[in-house]
Amino acid sequence: MSVQTTSKQDSDGPEAAVSPFHWQEQEQAFLRKLNAEKRKKTISQLTLNLLGVVLFLLLWEATPHVIPWMNILLFPPPSDVVGTLVELVESGELLENIAISMQRVLLGFALAAVLGIVAGLFTGRIALVQHLSDPVLHGMRSIPAIALVPLSLLWFGIGEASKVALISWGAFFPIWLNTFTGVRDVPPVLVRSAKSLGATPYQTMFNVILPASLPFILVGLRQGIGIALIVLVAAELAGASSGVGYMVATSHQLFRVDIMFIGIATLGFLGYMVDRLFTFLQSRIFPWYSSK
Amino acid sequence: MTALIEIKNVSKIYATSDDSATWALQGVSVNIEQGEFICAIGPSGCGKTTLLNIIGGFISPTEGDALLNGNAIQGPGPDRGVVFQEYALFSWLTSRENIEFPMRLKGVSKADRRAMSDKYLEMINLTHAADRYPGELSGGMRQRVAVARALVNEPQLLLMDEPFAAVDAMTRASLQEEVLRLWEKLKFSVLFITHNIEEAVFLSSKIIIMSPHPGRIKEIVPVDLPYPRDRASPEFGALYAKVNEAFHT
Repeated sequence: MSVQTTSKQDSDGPEAAVSPFHWQEQEQAFLRKLNAEKRKKTISQLTLNLLGVVLFLLLWEATPHVIPWMNILLFPPPSDVVGTLVELVESGELLENIAISMQRVLLGFALAAVLGIVAGLFTGRIALVQHLSDPVLHGMRSIPAIALVPLSLLWFGIGEASKVALISWGAFFPIWLNTFTGVRDVPPVLVRSAKSLGATPYQTMFNVILPASLPFILVGLRQGIGIALIVLVAAELAGASSGVGYMVATSHQLFRVDIMFIGIATLGFLGYMVDRLFTFLQSRIFPWYSSK
Repeated sequence: MTALIEIKNVSKIYATSDDSATWALQGVSVNIEQGEFICAIGPSGCGKTTLLNIIGGFISPTEGDALLNGNAIQGPGPDRGVVFQEYALFSWLTSRENIEFPMRLKGVSKADRRAMSDKYLEMINLTHAADRYPGELSGGMRQRVAVARALVNEPQLLLMDEPFAAVDAMTRASLQEEVLRLWEKLKFSVLFITHNIEEAVFLSSKIIIMSPHPGRIKEIVPVDLPYPRDRASPEFGALYAKVNEAFHT
């Protein structure tokens, strides 16, 4: 059939000498090749990633056997750690500790988010509030949250309140500062537009200033949740009776480096997951933000 | 009958960046009547934007009176719609939501808002882009949405501050025609700031020519050509030459 088409078009002139299917076939072949190459590249990349992990684990497993003076109790190989991990998961201990830690982080973070955003909006928008609060807020910002652990224990006890307070203290500052910067960065023309469209000061604040500074606020929230996790560990290392940080602290006393490894890895994993969750929610809740 | 806007002997003094004082406007008087399309034209520093900002209520004059329907202008308000030079759309709202914004402030019901935004989207021929965000629109489309948003409150006066300065020449010409069409249909008054003589002659019923340092009104040229105007006609050319001469001497 293709021969027929070709011979028929031969009579139409030199341009028609090639069958229209020819271009399509060429295009499809090109796309097939492109896709195949892409797939090949992805597969080889994933293989290398996997190989890297396996090499790392092998090296880790081999180290205590190869180096004679290495104490296996201080440097447990992955085979031991996995066994302990299964035990901790089966007993429910690990998940329990994760749950209580996450609860502290989320409570503290939520508190910090509300206070930080409100403080940022008002200090950014109202000069009186800004100048009044500037020295005190910036002074407090310079205090490392970890230095406040003992004070927090004295004020709020060893219960949940002290952890939540410390976490929200730590997370508050980046959220406040970024919100402040975002509010300052709102183009004046947006505020003028809102006013000329009939917005009251309150409506301008919440319908224009707040959404316009959202990109900055989101950066602040992301930094805030990172700090919340750091402060969580500090709070749990001293004066806690549960949580992933507590797990790490007690494993030190029990001389169980395998549990300590699991605790440390869990903290890394939690940090990673929280950050992923954050970017995921961001793109779901603020579609216009990613369309810019 | 009082004019819609009366500017009586208005002056405005500003601090420059090196802390000296400069007169953006000095002793300016002008009226805007109901239904007029006024273009203010002049080189930078002539105070045309200051004049618009005073009428918009964004700043107040150092001296003199700015009156709206006989009352002193107190601040910005929905009776004066504003279209800015820079893109002033809310980037987190779609075209439709931008247009509905003033109605949402007033607590208009969702159905009524929808009906109004449908009407205005159709008026600016952007029904197909109703659910797109400003970041997904071309410069010309954004300014059309900005015009619709400013008109949805049915203002008596539309203030336009070099609204088409950032779009290309082709788009600019079609936007000009569109504004004229809306003006003829909805019968609001316009104060349009530009530094483009051709734009002023094409659009306005009256041209205010301003001069800088200090900002003053140099001449007011009535334009009595019938609409729609033909840029290629000799009458258009003659008026262009007249304004050009006044502008440059």
